[in-house]
Formats: sequence, C-alpha cells, structure tokens
Amino acid sequence: MTEHITLTLRAPLEESIEATSVVPDRFASLSERDIAALPVWCGRKQQALGEFFAVDGGHSTDVRVIGDVRRVAEMGAGMAGGRLVIEAAAGDRLGLGMTAGHVDVLGAAGHDAGVGMSGGSLHIRGDVRDRVGAALPGAARGMTGGEIVVEGAAGTDAGARMRRGLLFIGGDTGDRTARGIIAGTVIVIGRVGAEPAHGSKRGTLVAGDGIEVPVTYRYACDYEPPHVRLALTYLGRRYGLSIYARLVDGRYRRYCGDAGTVAKGEILEWLPE
Amino acid sequence: MYVNGVLIQDTFAEAFPMRAARIVITAVSSRWAREAALKLTGFATSVIACKCEAAIERELAPSETPDGRPGFSTLLFAMDTESLGKRLVERIGQTVLTCPTTNCFDGLPDAERRLTSGRALRVFGDGFQGSKVVGGQRFWRVPVMDGECLLEESFGTAKGVGGGNFLILGSNASSTLVAAEASVAAIASMPGVILPFPGGIARSGSKIGSRRYKSLVASTNDAYCPTLRPLTDSALPDDVHSVLEIVLDSLDEASMRRAMYAGMAAACVPGVRAISAGNYGGKLGPHHFALREIMSESANVGVQP
Repeated sequence: MTEHITLTLRAPLEESIEATSVVPDRFASLSERDIAALPVWCGRKQQALGEFFAVDGGHSTDVRVIGDVRRVAEMGAGMAGGRLVIEAAAGDRLGLGMTAGHVDVLGAAGHDAGVGMSGGSLHIRGDVRDRVGAALPGAARGMTGGEIVVEGAAGTDAGARMRRGLLFIGGDTGDRTARGIIAGTVIVIGRVGAEPAHGSKRGTLVAGDGIEVPVTYRYACDYEPPHVRLALTYLGRRYGLSIYARLVDGRYRRYCGDAGTVAKGEILEWLPE
Repeated sequence: MYVNGVLIQDTFAEAFPMRAARIVITAVSSRWAREAALKLTGFATSVIACKCEAAIERELAPSETPDGRPGFSTLLFAMDTESLGKRLVERIGQTVLTCPTTNCFDGLPDAERRLTSGRALRVFGDGFQGSKVVGGQRFWRVPVMDGECLLEESFGTAKGVGGGNFLILGSNASSTLVAAEASVAAIASMPGVILPFPGGIARSGSKIGSRRYKSLVASTNDAYCPTLRPLTDSALPDDVHSVLEIVLDSLDEASMRRAMYAGMAAACVPGVRAISAGNYGGKLGPHHFALREIMSESANVGVQP
C-alpha cells in the first residue's frame, strides 16, 4: 500500500483515449500491476492503461495524474470516493456521473465536466468548456448533487437541467447558462451569457457581473439574500477562493421565473452600489 | 481543605442527564444577534417551570459563523429529546424568526441524533419557502418582511449534564455577591457550559418537594436560608449570613469539572467563608462532582479563573 498512486503520461497523446478505469476508489484494492493492466479505449481498440501511463504505487484511493491529459476523457467517471488530482489540464467528461470523492484539476477541463454527477466535489482551477454540470445526452436531469467549482470561465449550457447541487463559475459563462434548471444553485462571478435560466422551474442563478434578464422573469425586490452569503462564505472557506466582499455583502435584484413554468426559480443580479 | 482561606466543604454537587442542543444565531450586527439570543434563551432558568434551561454560551466572531456574520452560540437543555424538539420549534420560531436580519444554524453538526426543527418551521413560509443545500446541509429560506430568514433544517442533539452547582457561603450579602460575580466572570465563555440563572446566579436555591405543601415540586432550601437559622435544621456556619448558588449545565462531565473549578477558585475571596454544593444524597442523578476532588485535580490547575 502506498500513500498515493501516480500516473505519469509516457508520451504526448496523438489521439484521444477514454480512461473510465481511472477511478480512485477502485484503485484501493489494486496493485501497481493490476492498475497498469486496466483497460482504456483508443477508438474501438482496447489497450492497457500501462501502455499510456507509468504507474507508481497501488492500494490507495489518492491518485495523482501527471502530464498533458487533455486528450484523456472520462477520468473519474462514476467515482464513488477517494481523491483524484490532475496536475495539468483535463479532458472531456471529467467526473462524469460521480457520486462521491474529490477531483482537483490544476488546469482547465474539457466539455461535459461533471455531467450527471450526484455527489462529491469537482474543483477546476482553470476554464471549462460546454455543459459543465449539465445532463447526459437524452437525460432529463443534469447534476443531482455535489459541488462543482470552476475558477475560470465556462462555455455554453453550464448547469443545464440541473436538479440539485452547487455550481460555481469564477469567470464568465456562455449562452444558455442554467437552462431549464429544476433546482440547485448556479453562481457566476463574471458575466452571464445570453438566454440565461430559460425555462427553469426552480433553482437559483446568481449573476455577479451582469446579466440580460429574460422578459419571462418578473422583478421582485432588491435585497441581501442570506443563502448567497452562506454559499459564498462556504465556498471561500472550503475551496480557498477569494470571493469579492462586494458579492458576499452586496445587494441583489431578485427576479422570479421562468413564467413559462411553475416560476419558482430566481435570478439574482448583483447591484453595484 | 482550604483555598485562599475559604473552606471547601467535603460534599458533592449532584447533576443529572439532559439533552442538549447548540443554536448559533447570526445577524447583520452583534447587537441584533445578541437580541435574538437573549430572547431565545429567555425564561429558561430551570426545567422545573420553564421546560428547558438555556443561556448564551459565547459570542462568535464572523470567522466562526457559517455565513461570516457576527453571531452568538447558545445552549438549550431539556429533560428528553422530544421536549427539546418542542422547545426549539417554539423558541426559534418566536424569537429568531421574528428578529430582524437573523439566521439560525446548528452548532452540533457532528451529532448523530437530529431534531428537524428548521423543517418544522419552514411551513411558516406558507408554500413560498424554498431550500438550499450548502456543504451537505439543507437550509430553509423562509420569506419574511425584511427579506428571508435562513434556518438550518436539523439541529444536532447530544447528551448533556444538568444541575451542576456550588454554593458560595459568605459573611455578608455584598461580599457574597462580589464572589459570585467573579465566579460567573470566570466561567463565562468557557466552551460547552452555560449558567442559566439571571446573571449566572441563583439566590433561591431549592430542595425537592415541600415540608408543608404536598403539591409543590420544589421549595426553598431552608437549610441555607440565613433568616431561618434558628427555625430549621440549618446547614450554615455561624459566621455565614448570605448564600448564592451558581448552577451550571454542560455538554459533558469534563466541561462541568473545568467550569466548577474555575468558578470555585474565583469565588475564594475575602468575605467568603465556605464553598458547598447541593445534592440529594445521590438519589437524583448519576453525575456527582465532589468539590475537593475537583479543586485538587491536576487537570484543572491552570484553568484561568
């Protein structure tokens, strides 16, 4: 048993691979040799993880991945515990459907990060591309629990059809942020893209630096929402984020909507003093 | 045994098990958090008539509260879990929910047994309430006229120790009160301990039942009333003319012992003749705190009085 397991990319990848086997909680009972023999998919061809990564250690749920793994998809998929640290940028579908554990990406991440996740936490220090925390193709619900913290910007459809959980974006977001959310909270520190929270039933979209509120949302009041303060304070402490005091202490303009649904959702737009 | 010339009597305080909850209240300012905390813990000196015992545990800095605002930690004790749950709903609903700018959080997050008081109170929102899960805990957003009140859904409950006490036997009323005030100051802000009586001090120490009135649950502790010295079986030395009692509730025995040590040590000042304690011969409760043992425990030496 080792303190942690290190996967070091042997050589730059020329094509994408799917590494659904890189799941920390499943490594707990595996030796170094067992881990190296786990399958990965390169197109239609199944190969061994050890062909792409040098494996160091075994019998641990603390996994570190070293190298440019932007072309490695689905790491941490279905993860149910443990800790996965990716020391550079990560690929698509990171933490797909994860239920517990912690993923920490020191760089950016690709499309579909945290789609369908129901628990655990996903911390991405850089940007993410489209559909972070959203639904799997054909699924009615996006993330149903857990926390996703993106310190950078996000692409389109962030949090789309989210049912529960907390999605924090430190930068701007693309179009259709929080589209059709059923519940949960999406906090955007930067500017929110077009058509935000369109068709949402419940849930909260917090906009820290500008948003074009759809006409299907009705103005309620200007106030200091206690749950936003609580969530920002929690995120700052839990993830070591520097949250602007103006957002923690600030006033927000509350809009209720979307009028095309049960209209129990809300957009909270930060108000400059 | 003497401490600073004050006799520590060879007796013990007898305490009993209770159920406890820690409620954290925050507000826009320390002033408003205190207002709510004082109301929440008001009229809660003794379970005999108040159904619970409660007091402020300590003030909390913004860095210590879940929402980063000024706050107060309070402790509530009741005889059983069911009663504690009722008291929380009544008191939070009438004192915290009503107080401007306040939010209410659980202060025992690791406790396994939970009381869903926040969940019960959410219906005040008349269907307009909503909830948020932050850090794995659910919080109810109850709409009120100044915005929203945030109530944690459930509150942890733990075993507690109620009825710890010691008596300060003084030569006159003023020096006894000074000693009692010093005791309270020494115990104030000690974690896990509250003093539920006014200013932390009780003057109407009681005995179980009554010599004359059969229906009374408790009546005056005549053995410690100086005015009754010739009329009853007095427990007072000749030079004692005033007695005040410090009653303590705590989350555990260790906290109780530390607090009793600090309080008794602080009370050993000129004008005080002896320190005693109330007990019922060991029949009331399983927790016995022998005064001399506490004052000689090495673990307590160095606890700041």
